[in-house]
Amino acid sequence: MPEAEDGRLSFKLVYYGPAQSGKTTNLLRLHDLLSPELKGEMMTLETQDDRTLFFDLLPLGFRAPSGLLIKFRLFTVPGQVAHDGTRKAVLSRADGVVFVADADRVQETNNAESFQALSENCARVGLDFMSLPLVVQFNKMDLPAAVPETDIRARWSATPWPLVFATALRGDGVAATFIELLRATYRRNAENFELLSKHGLDEAAFVAGAVGRALGSADAGDARV
Amino acid sequence: MSTQGFDHEWRFEELLDAGGLEKIGPVLAQLLGGDAAILDALGKVCWGELTEAAQRAPLVLELEPIAYLASATATPSALAGARSLLQMLLRIQMRYKMASNLHLDAVAEDFESLRLKNAHLQESEARYKTLAGELEARVKKQVAQLEEHQQMLYQAEKMASVGQLAAGVAHEVNNPLGFVRSNLSSFERYLAKFAELKARLDEGAAAWKALDLDFLLEDSADLLGDSIKGLDRIARIVSDLKSFSNIDRASVEMANLNDCLQHVASVLDGNLPANVRIELALQPIPSFVCLPGHLNQIFMGLVRNATQAIVDAGRPGEIKISSELGISVGREGIFVKIQDNGVGMTPELMARAFDPFYTTRPVGAGAGLGLSTARNIVLGHNGHIYLESTPDVGTTVIIFFPLQK
Repeated sequence: MPEAEDGRLSFKLVYYGPAQSGKTTNLLRLHDLLSPELKGEMMTLETQDDRTLFFDLLPLGFRAPSGLLIKFRLFTVPGQVAHDGTRKAVLSRADGVVFVADADRVQETNNAESFQALSENCARVGLDFMSLPLVVQFNKMDLPAAVPETDIRARWSATPWPLVFATALRGDGVAATFIELLRATYRRNAENFELLSKHGLDEAAFVAGAVGRALGSADAGDARV
Repeated sequence: MSTQGFDHEWRFEELLDAGGLEKIGPVLAQLLGGDAAILDALGKVCWGELTEAAQRAPLVLELEPIAYLASATATPSALAGARSLLQMLLRIQMRYKMASNLHLDAVAEDFESLRLKNAHLQESEARYKTLAGELEARVKKQVAQLEEHQQMLYQAEKMASVGQLAAGVAHEVNNPLGFVRSNLSSFERYLAKFAELKARLDEGAAAWKALDLDFLLEDSADLLGDSIKGLDRIARIVSDLKSFSNIDRASVEMANLNDCLQHVASVLDGNLPANVRIELALQPIPSFVCLPGHLNQIFMGLVRNATQAIVDAGRPGEIKISSELGISVGREGIFVKIQDNGVGMTPELMARAFDPFYTTRPVGAGAGLGLSTARNIVLGHNGHIYLESTPDVGTTVIIFFPLQK
């Protein structure tokens, strides 16, 4: 559940995925691309070779018409297999998850194992995997060895989660992914927190507030790029 | 797990405690030209004294101010610089606190995972233990069943050979019994003649002659002598039989194998087909501690096998039973050989000869336990038994019994 206290509502959104699939890159690009009312500095805790050791944190926020401060705290997990305990700890209390998969064909097994671990870890930390807002992003679509989009779509067609294709290094699909997650998060929580009735926020306004006016209006309608 | 997760919104006083404030406050005051105060998010003074005219600069770590730096004496740029400095300090502190809390959480998670894995392992180990126990019990039960069946078959085989033996013995005993009885009835008639002599005593020597008593007297001596010999023969057969009577009484005794072999030969000798002969070639050997009842049984079985092999070959033949001292695999002991010139065995047959229940005889003629039983008994004496055989030439069974030191 999102934290609600002192006139603010805080959502914890976690970027999960196999090692070096581009989770930190997603956050770095979001930091550049988004222009919400409030944007914090990105905090990274990485090792010398640029691998995430604990997590990255990007805080974003805006004020609802009611004056409620809506906060988003975007976290990444460390992708390396050995850090499963850390992954679980970062994942706990998540209000939404982006699964960043590596589209490179040789990474298919890693993707599958990581996704499997995500569902198991959700159960371990008390999250209901099936009702958790979740977006699946296939990153590195620019690679020559990337699995074609049609193949991936065919394979995931039976699943309920939105698919977004991205090249995070260039910033492609990064905002679209985030917007999909914002929508799912809004739908999951709007009623509980009376976002529309009490705070005057509909889905479009929620998304626009988080990504910033300019990008929000341009991109929000066409998220499945 | 800590009640406050690494990802909670860190409050100012969590990042900088009173001790920290006491160290950093005076330094900041000096930098800011004398007057400085630090206020928390709600405007409460944490350190220093708030002056009326003080300017406030917000300290922001994520999105909102978590504290304020206030000074009445500082220039705006000095205040901004000091604020950045303090903000940087708090940010470092926050990174450290988040990382260390997350580390604790992760360690707890890892420990929990290991604990779960361990519990699973213990569970499956227990399962396997139960399974292994059940399996062992089942194997034991089946082995016991097999042993019981084998024992029953073994018993049946023994009864069959006892039957054969009994038939042979009956034949043996019948023969002398027949002539002793006939002798005795002749002698009875002779005695009647002597009784007649009593009535004709006055005729004198003429009567003696007329009754042909000279012949009767001579023939009586022969009759009685033959009868005694016949009874002796029966006595010998009975004595030979005695060594077989203790088959079930598996008593350990000092015995000489030559005696055993002689008994076997004499028990079987009268019972052999006409064209089969037994030849004994026994070297002097010492007595040793063994189960003579069991050994008699094997020797008997082996001689019977040899007889059958000769009968199967359809020609006259002989069974040579020999014993001698020798050395096998560095141990001194007794070799017993039972050699026939019967049908012999093919290598395939030899390979299976010691298998329990393997037989070349028609169904009902034998359970096929002869050689396997023989081997068990020989192994029980720490010895070994093996075959040498050529088809159509004959078979030799060689048994070695080590002499204990």
